[in-house]
Amino acid sequence: MRSRLATALCTATTLVAVLGACSANTGGSSTVDTGRQQTGVIATDPKDSWGPAPEVPGARAGGTFTIIRETPLSHLDPQRTYSFAGLMAAPLFARSLTTWKDDGQGNLVLVGDLAETPGSNVEDDCTVWEFKIKDGVRFEDGRPVTAKEIAYGIARSFDPDLTGGPTYLQEWLADTPQYDTAWDFAANRTALPPGLTTPDDRTLRFEFARPRCDLPFAASLPSTAPLPADRDTGINLGHAPFSSGPYKVTRFQAGVEIVLERNEHWDPATDPVRHQYPDRFVWSFGPSTDTAANRVIADNGADQAALSWDFVPASLVSRVAGDAALRSRTILSPTPTANHLVINNQRVTDLRVRQALNYAIDREGLVKVLGGPHVAAPNTTLMPPATIGHRAYDAYPAGPNGDPDRARELLGGQTPELVLGAADSSVEQQLATQLKGNLERAGFKITMRAIPDDAKLDEIKKRDNPWDLYLSSWAADWPSGAAILPVLYDGRGIKVAGNTNESYFDDPAISAEFDRILALPPAAQAPQWAGLDERIMREHAPVVPLYVDVAYLVHGSKVGGVFVSSVFGYPCLIDAHVKP
Amino acid sequence: MDGTLRTGTGDPIPAGRTVGRSPGRLAWMRLRRDRTALVSAAVLVLFVLVALAAPLIEAAYGIGPHDQFQRRLDGFGMPLGHAGGVSGEHFFGLEPGLGRDIFIRLVYGLRTSFFVACTAAVLSTLIGAALGGLAGYLGGWLDAVVSWLTDLTLAMPFLIVALALTPTLALRFYGQRDEVPPSFGVGVLIAIFAVFGWTSTARLVRGQVIALREREFVAAARASGAGLGHLLVRQLLPNTWAPILVSFSFAVPQFVTGEAALSFIGVGLTEPTPSFGRMIYQSLDYLQTDPAFVLFPGGTLVALVFAFNLFGDALRDALDPRSAR
Repeated sequence: MRSRLATALCTATTLVAVLGACSANTGGSSTVDTGRQQTGVIATDPKDSWGPAPEVPGARAGGTFTIIRETPLSHLDPQRTYSFAGLMAAPLFARSLTTWKDDGQGNLVLVGDLAETPGSNVEDDCTVWEFKIKDGVRFEDGRPVTAKEIAYGIARSFDPDLTGGPTYLQEWLADTPQYDTAWDFAANRTALPPGLTTPDDRTLRFEFARPRCDLPFAASLPSTAPLPADRDTGINLGHAPFSSGPYKVTRFQAGVEIVLERNEHWDPATDPVRHQYPDRFVWSFGPSTDTAANRVIADNGADQAALSWDFVPASLVSRVAGDAALRSRTILSPTPTANHLVINNQRVTDLRVRQALNYAIDREGLVKVLGGPHVAAPNTTLMPPATIGHRAYDAYPAGPNGDPDRARELLGGQTPELVLGAADSSVEQQLATQLKGNLERAGFKITMRAIPDDAKLDEIKKRDNPWDLYLSSWAADWPSGAAILPVLYDGRGIKVAGNTNESYFDDPAISAEFDRILALPPAAQAPQWAGLDERIMREHAPVVPLYVDVAYLVHGSKVGGVFVSSVFGYPCLIDAHVKP
Repeated sequence: MDGTLRTGTGDPIPAGRTVGRSPGRLAWMRLRRDRTALVSAAVLVLFVLVALAAPLIEAAYGIGPHDQFQRRLDGFGMPLGHAGGVSGEHFFGLEPGLGRDIFIRLVYGLRTSFFVACTAAVLSTLIGAALGGLAGYLGGWLDAVVSWLTDLTLAMPFLIVALALTPTLALRFYGQRDEVPPSFGVGVLIAIFAVFGWTSTARLVRGQVIALREREFVAAARASGAGLGHLLVRQLLPNTWAPILVSFSFAVPQFVTGEAALSFIGVGLTEPTPSFGRMIYQSLDYLQTDPAFVLFPGGTLVALVFAFNLFGDALRDALDPRSAR
């Protein structure tokens, strides 16, 4: 009996081995257009801000559109929304002051959403901004949206109980990062924060102590969504937001499912970007990324009209990309999430060492570890190519596989001993192993230290963290250098913990440049940011730019109209429809 | 005297024709007649040799466990060629992504796994047999304490303790910036397994000893003035070999898979140290795209655990005087 079992086992093993050997992998090529130029303008023609949005070719109304995602959306409160999934879900039920007209190809126009225009710069010095609110915009119960409700929405984001959302408007209005102590929402529920006024029902006015030229961009985040004060349920709003968009939330089952159905009071004539094609949207949470991808590929029943929200997992990419039948059901697009090997500039003070680090990296090999060009695209600039005005350059040209000899030359015979802190997740451990190999080839001595995955972000944001190198990424809230370079490289704001400047780079000349460019009108800023990007890299090399994430999505055969947002790099649902 | 019992001082009385044979010799003969035992033993010896000779194999093979061959991967990081890049140069192909040689990493992974599992199994069996034997024979307060300790250990959430202790210990011994050597991970794993693995052996041995301590041969030895050591080692131990060996033979494969699981969640061996466990868990994602990557480490683990279980089984049969063969 036992020997028969052993024989059966051997046979099975051999069989699998033979099956696996049937086809040879000869390698294939595929390209992603990661070098595409991002263009962005602020609309000057008021007509751009009015609807209805042009019909999507071939789109028809009706059907149920399903989105499958592993991690649940914990809430839908627009003022607390900051996660990518939350930001992409919000436009269905929340309208903001401004919004992006996005063709999914990197061409962006900022238009008014609730506002008639993307803001008017009253004094021409970016300190006073006015927004005229459109006539005919309504909530889900039919009452009109006025400047009062928008102002109330902004005011409630000062509430320290409602955390997690963007803090630009609060910090700018209060002119301090400690905005919740500067103005107490709970004690002033009927008043408005300093600098925010509503001269009449259709006018919203911002007055800032300092020029804030990025206000029209910041106003595109869902934190400017309107809310009538009598509908504010505080923390519970996250489970039942009050809709101003084409859909309203009809079911919120925490951790399992969210159902949105049409909002009949939404008027397409007032909306420059949104559509109302499917009868309902269903967010379905739980299946792992592997399961979700496999379900959508199998294309059965309701999954035919389903989108797997998470990117195709690296281990499945070669299968999905190799299947010609799936080509029409996949979306491939670069994203603005830039990943760097961050150098702790407080510890690695020698510029030549930082430059040598830049020369040593084999970006082609790194992309292979990540899963290929459908997962990541090599990058050599501080700002990702999806930034408006981005200019490609390579300050330390080392070819696709790195230049260890040039790095050695810069090191001049010394062997810097550096500690690389990496999260103990499987992917990051592999990446760190790859980087360690690259750097040791170039004459460094690298010690890898594991950081618990869930604590890593907090740890590297501490000023006195013990590591020399760590991996980090940044995705801007709008595709302007203003939301990237000063945030990551201004040394004047370095705190004890919670820093966005994770390289602890601090150079007075560069900081002065930030101030100069930030005071320019937004249109004039773009080329200046690109120039400063290159200057920082050439003069200081505070990080090693590694790669940008690439979005690779798979959906069912009846899904139409989904594109990857040029702003956030995640699927955009405003054009989504179900094919008959 | 009961013929089925062996004591250190006398042979069992076999039925029929009598030839003087020691119990060890009898067991050896039974074992030699058992084909399953021979095959599984041969497989185990092979594994042990491979593990011991890892550096020699590396020298002969010409590839180290950290060498990367990313040029032999396609754009997706998948190995080129048949069955995950199997070739005369890379016997078991390459890992997707990093492009390291699977064969040499398996050899080194086997070495660590074997070392961890065998050391931990020996330690946990020793602790278990000693505590169980003492508690069973002496009874009283010692028995109460050992039983309580067993219950406590069984109730302790082993994974949580392991997860909580490892980073703390690493920080304590190596600070925030020093290299944590692989031997630290190996030591942690062995300690965890030894501390948490002795309970089943202790319970088995305690039960057996309680059943035996009132028997005539024990009473006789005690009456003749034998000390505690003699009673435990010469009188009781030979009669408890079977459960001890069984729990040992089950402990080794259990620790091999345990090492696999723990290394995966970051306790024990971290990258770039070759580990059986991490390799297997990592390979599972590639079941659809690179089945060979799953097959080689998985098949090796199956063969190792299977051989150990079969051999343990056969050894128990051979040592059990009541067994038919």
